[in-house]
Amino acid sequence: MEKVGIVGYYQVQLQSEANYGRYEMIFEAVRGALDNAGLKKKDVTTVISCTNDYYDGRTISNAFSVEVGGAYLADESKVEMDGAHAALYGLMRILSGNHKLAVIWGGSTPSCYPYHSARLFETDPTWERPNAFVNDITAGGFQMRAYMEKYGVSAEDIAKVAVNNRKNAAKNPSSLKEAQYPNLTTREVLESGIYADPVTELMVSPLCDGVAAILLAPEKQALKITDKPVWITGVGYNQETYYLGDRDLSTSKSMESAGKMAFKAAGIKNPKDEIDVAELSEVFAHEELIFSEALGLAEKGQGVKLNYEINGDLPINPSGGALGGNPPCATGLIRIIEAVKQLRGEANGYQVKDAKKAIASGQIGMCAQNNILYVLEGGN
Amino acid sequence: MSENKVIVANKGMVRADFNFWVGRYMDKFYDNFEKKKLVGNKCQKCGNVFVPPRKVCGKCNVVIPLEENWVDLPDTGILKNYTITPYRVNDRTSRKTKPQVVGMVQIDGSNTAIIYRLINIKPEEVKTGMKVKIEWSEKPKGDPSDIKGFVKI
Repeated sequence: MEKVGIVGYYQVQLQSEANYGRYEMIFEAVRGALDNAGLKKKDVTTVISCTNDYYDGRTISNAFSVEVGGAYLADESKVEMDGAHAALYGLMRILSGNHKLAVIWGGSTPSCYPYHSARLFETDPTWERPNAFVNDITAGGFQMRAYMEKYGVSAEDIAKVAVNNRKNAAKNPSSLKEAQYPNLTTREVLESGIYADPVTELMVSPLCDGVAAILLAPEKQALKITDKPVWITGVGYNQETYYLGDRDLSTSKSMESAGKMAFKAAGIKNPKDEIDVAELSEVFAHEELIFSEALGLAEKGQGVKLNYEINGDLPINPSGGALGGNPPCATGLIRIIEAVKQLRGEANGYQVKDAKKAIASGQIGMCAQNNILYVLEGGN
Repeated sequence: MSENKVIVANKGMVRADFNFWVGRYMDKFYDNFEKKKLVGNKCQKCGNVFVPPRKVCGKCNVVIPLEENWVDLPDTGILKNYTITPYRVNDRTSRKTKPQVVGMVQIDGSNTAIIYRLINIKPEEVKTGMKVKIEWSEKPKGDPSDIKGFVKI
């Protein structure tokens, strides 16, 4: 694959209720990414946004974000999945050879809409939606139980992931304040109240308001813009069937396939040995284990045995991951940004030593129906 | 600082209720509910039995003909998975004192699982692998509300 570089990034401070509004947040993120790269609005040739009409409470919601997203009289389009999927669209725009700088931004403000009601609109209207037994809350419970029962994993093992990520979040100033727990114990996670049994409240990534943005450029331009480009050397994406009753929820076939595709592109033969740091979009603590196993970082059911702490063998979510704040449509894009920070040595307070190769993922759908995975490498 | 002004958009002005036609396959499925009967259909290629019936088998990428391959199914099945939640779908601000048990049930003779609530059961009695049966409503109308829930047998 031709080299495409990530040349700038910005993430707004995640907040439970960002009273300064959606448009200012989008502007702050996009303008922030341009400033980060020392560029101007006139340098932007294409803009890809990621929001969701239901979450924004209006149809064709990107019609309202033209000016603040840097797309005034520009080539603009929208992806209604995760910001990590918008980055794929942006990557393809660059690879088409027609563009020199792509802005990708994504995010939403769940403080002003009923998120779980909006998620219900994902379900089959002719069968599942009228009774609403299938929804994003119950789906998390099914997924965790399927994983635990298939491999004999305990709730305590899964609570350890929540402890690790929330402790990591406490070291990351741009994570959600309410998600930061510097001294959390597995017992506190297990006793934090039932969300959807066996999932407890602290195993759930907390919803919050947030927007993030990255800039992509082809190799030649990237090297002119920055002396610290991060290269996208592989990308893979895959989608599973819709009905949860058709799927094996104890694993993630879509992540497995996405991983194979991305690793092949990047020439990675043994991901466990070759990758220095991983940022995975875990909506629930158990998903981090399911994903790391699907990616071949651990044997099935053995994810908890990985040494995934910041100074461990393979640090996973040193930023705190989605458990450190989950702003819908921005979460996966923030994983990419966090991987970029690690590769540029800019993850102050949670820097992984000598990180040269990273992976970052985004997801969408019930029980992560669709996953996208990036392989990123630092150095020019 | 003054209090933030909040506008509740569309309140009292606009409603957007969708009237989805369930389609020919689901019409037949719900017609059978009126007789308290469950039907599915079978992919002629891989042999998987779907309940509710499907027009297309995604794995094989073939249409299951409307007039063929219907399978009469019992209203019993195996509980493959379950969860218990105190939340209403659209409200995480209040926890219900009586949590709802929701299960994934594989109807006997089918290859997929459907998701429905379990009734008349204490949360601690729920176990994966247990046999369950549909509790039909007294006067079925031919829609999803005809299944009151699954009970342990």
